[in-house]
Amino acid sequence: MTSERRRKLASLSFGEKLELLELLRDRSLLLAEARKKLARKKDRVEGHKNDKTLPRSS
Amino acid sequence: MQADGVIGRYAIGGAVGATFYLEPAATLDVDVFVTLPGLSEKTLVSLTPIYEYLKGHGCKPEGEHIIIGAWPVQFLLPSNGLENEALSQAVQADAGGIPTWVMTAEHLVAIALQTGRQKDHGRILQFFDHKAIDHAKLGAIVTRYGLDDKWKKFKKRYFDD
Repeated sequence: MTSERRRKLASLSFGEKLELLELLRDRSLLLAEARKKLARKKDRVEGHKNDKTLPRSS
Repeated sequence: MQADGVIGRYAIGGAVGATFYLEPAATLDVDVFVTLPGLSEKTLVSLTPIYEYLKGHGCKPEGEHIIIGAWPVQFLLPSNGLENEALSQAVQADAGGIPTWVMTAEHLVAIALQTGRQKDHGRILQFFDHKAIDHAKLGAIVTRYGLDDKWKKFKKRYFDD
């Protein structure tokens, strides 16, 4: 972020900043949820790979 | 809550408090430092009355937080002299038409220095970037609460001073 943009953001009113914080927090939560889903998916795939009882395709 | 006598003074600290002085930075919760009214030093302190009061007003507890509006809020009692002073010298801020209290920039920096995690150091640097600090005031707080060594180390690490 450019320092000019940071200065503009810093000069917003506290109320406006709090609204932005809510958006940032929602985005952070969405990202965290997406990361968890990806990790779960990866675990499932790894689990299948390591499961030697499953038939292997030739 | 103040009017109903559930809490005494309060002040927003942490990342949301810092946002009063800086550009908004992502955070998941709000830290609110509170004093409880009518407590002597010998009283066993509990935040239960705050949580009970808020539950009675439809707020849902979630772990160590309670959801107020859209935000998980953590209530904290000041645990040392610095936090007590930060609370007593908080400044009034307007949050979209609602008057509220926020710790001063210098107290937020001193608390961040005392806590000393990487993210706290990052926040201190932001305060310096934005020239949001009264250096004399910060210096006095740092000395008053025995943070001179930490401050020297911080400056050496980040300002090579």
